[in-house]
Amino acid sequence: MSKFTFSRKSLGIPYFIFLLIFVVAPLVVLFCFAFSDKDGHFTFANFANFFTDPNTLGTLFYSLAVAVVTTIVSLLIAYPLAYILSRSRLKSKAVMLLIIIAPMWINFSLRISALKEILTVIEGNLAYYPFINAVIGMTYDFLPFMILPIYNTLVKMDLSLEEAARDLGAGNSQTFLKITLPLSTPGIISGVMMVFLPAMTNYVVLDMLYNSTYIMGSLIGSYFAAYNWHGGSMIALILLAIICLFNIIAGGSSEENNQGGALL
Amino acid sequence: MKKKITAMALAFVTCASLLPAFKVFADEPAAEEVTLRVCNWEEYIDLGDWDPDEETIDLDNGDILGVTPMVDDFEEWYFETYGIKVNVEYSTFGTNEDLYNMLTLGDVYDLICPSEYLNMKLMAEDALVPLSSDFFDESDENNYYIRGLSPYIRDIFDSKEINGEPWSKYMAGYMWGITGIVYNPNEITKEEASTWTLLSDPEYFRQITIKDNVRDSYFAAVGAVKKDLLTSEEFLNDPNYALNLEAEMNDTSPETIQAAQDWLQSVKNNAYSFETDSGKADMITGKVLANYQWSGDAVYTMDQADEDDYTLNFAVPVESSNIYFDGWVMLKSGINQDPRKQHAAESFINFLSRPDNVVRNMYYIGYTSVISGGDDDTIFQYLDWSYGAEDDEEDVTEYDLSYFFSEDPDSGEYVISAPTDQVDRQLSAQYPPRDIIDRTSIMVYFDNDKTDVINQMWINVRCFNLDTIPVLGKALIVIAITAAVIFIIRSKIRKKAHR
Repeated sequence: MSKFTFSRKSLGIPYFIFLLIFVVAPLVVLFCFAFSDKDGHFTFANFANFFTDPNTLGTLFYSLAVAVVTTIVSLLIAYPLAYILSRSRLKSKAVMLLIIIAPMWINFSLRISALKEILTVIEGNLAYYPFINAVIGMTYDFLPFMILPIYNTLVKMDLSLEEAARDLGAGNSQTFLKITLPLSTPGIISGVMMVFLPAMTNYVVLDMLYNSTYIMGSLIGSYFAAYNWHGGSMIALILLAIICLFNIIAGGSSEENNQGGALL
Repeated sequence: MKKKITAMALAFVTCASLLPAFKVFADEPAAEEVTLRVCNWEEYIDLGDWDPDEETIDLDNGDILGVTPMVDDFEEWYFETYGIKVNVEYSTFGTNEDLYNMLTLGDVYDLICPSEYLNMKLMAEDALVPLSSDFFDESDENNYYIRGLSPYIRDIFDSKEINGEPWSKYMAGYMWGITGIVYNPNEITKEEASTWTLLSDPEYFRQITIKDNVRDSYFAAVGAVKKDLLTSEEFLNDPNYALNLEAEMNDTSPETIQAAQDWLQSVKNNAYSFETDSGKADMITGKVLANYQWSGDAVYTMDQADEDDYTLNFAVPVESSNIYFDGWVMLKSGINQDPRKQHAAESFINFLSRPDNVVRNMYYIGYTSVISGGDDDTIFQYLDWSYGAEDDEEDVTEYDLSYFFSEDPDSGEYVISAPTDQVDRQLSAQYPPRDIIDRTSIMVYFDNDKTDVINQMWINVRCFNLDTIPVLGKALIVIAITAAVIFIIRSKIRKKAHR
């Protein structure tokens, strides 16, 4: 008989239960649906369909394009901002950061509705530029997820390393490229992960902004609305596989240097 | 001091001994209480809280004002009328497909209000409880539904069948309507707007929205691809016009589905967007010039635009328009052969069909009730109140609605003198005239195989086809992702080498 003793490990039990019910169980269901047909028989047909249907592949490519461009644009905006913020001598750094995160506290549907009006004023007719609008909407929504990890790594970086580089005669750009940038890679990687994956699937943003851009998330939604749980589950599963692949490739480096992983 | 404590203790004991008595008293009605689980469309019932100064509807039959939510009023009315407490658990759904998914996932309701095609599916699946014969007893004063049902709707519900049983056996109507196009009359003429091909008209490139919904889109597509046939003299003058029309509009042959897909592709390349909910707002704010809409939402859109002094009209395509009915049905899984539940469910339908409640719901949501009122002319008075011309109005049209309100469609008993512009506006959307009604068609429930094919057609339309993405675009994406992967792996290898 082992008696239950309270240890620090027991504190993990609620999370474990949460994980079991809301993460593991749905995944199992997803698997079952993805590899079965309408009569419940095991099949690879859904898997084969995904890779042979030009429509699914086309949508996958389009989503990838939206996600890649969104990630690059967010990175180009976020990195300089995080850099300037972390290196500024302002006492009010925290306030500055707050200003950047503050939009996240406003309900996102409200923000997107406002964005829609602003873009309409600028462009005249949203429908002329579907791709650009998709990128703008996604960037607007996910930018803070890129800024924060990069800012965290940069602010925790040991400045003496940069000073040492300068002492040894490195110029500004050389210092940045050889010291700062490599040291902030973990932040960049976790920022990219936080932006890239939602940008591929979060179709609600696009629906609210301008519902004609169809990405992977919309496709899953369409399958479910058509009572086709099997095809939809397979798409979700393949996206999950893509996510895992990215995690495995990028995962190692952020584990070693976990400064960038923290968000909020 | 001691006395005080004793007194308090005594008081406490007395109270405690009384408690069981109270409990019995409280338990008795609770045992009688019936719980009714209702699931209806979002924003599809009066929630009360009207402004008495602005919104009182003053009819000859008395003032009508929504003070408390309709559901609360029902609970009160049911207790007063039948002496039984009913507790309504009211929930909502967004689309018929959502509701069906909810039901398959095990949600249990007693009374639901989907569109006719889902009701047909549920009927075919034997999931429904038939309405009781008491419900159709016209001698009972509280049977507002059967006493007030429009003869026109009653005829449809009795004649349309699924598996040899009429709709009316299972379904009690709630609201009905048709599909059409809301348009800006300053930019688009009525003739242009009165056809489904407007949606693919390159003249209005990126200025029209269409529904992001497979059935509505398919209907419009069939109408557009068969335009020549449907508007030909020969077809229109055929004695079996109504039957032929329904057959054509429900055509699911592979050729028609392919033609519909091609047409919808061209619409996708031409339209502003496929909207689920934003169409009304985009129309009112002037982002688009025309919008494929259900008549009830069209009324709402025009009402809202009127408040901004912005005029919008409603047109019904000449090819055909989809007439739809949202109706109450009782689910076997919920009612579970409980006669008290069934009585409460049927009474709920009756309460919603009481003329003053019909007016409240119609005023609140903008749709059209299936109830005409029977002997009670409150609903017709309300129509006259909303749409009748002022005495000094010069341009007036006699608008005949006898087909809906009277047993004899040609009687000419129910005519409203309405401002002429209303013929193209809210009035024609809420109560379409007879010539429009004659070219409406219901859209039946397609069997599972057909539904799968049409759903796949719709997904094909919405997707980006691989072949349409430029080679340069594909190459760029592949390069970008490969570059990122190489960069990450290289930096990892380097790090390892450092150690």
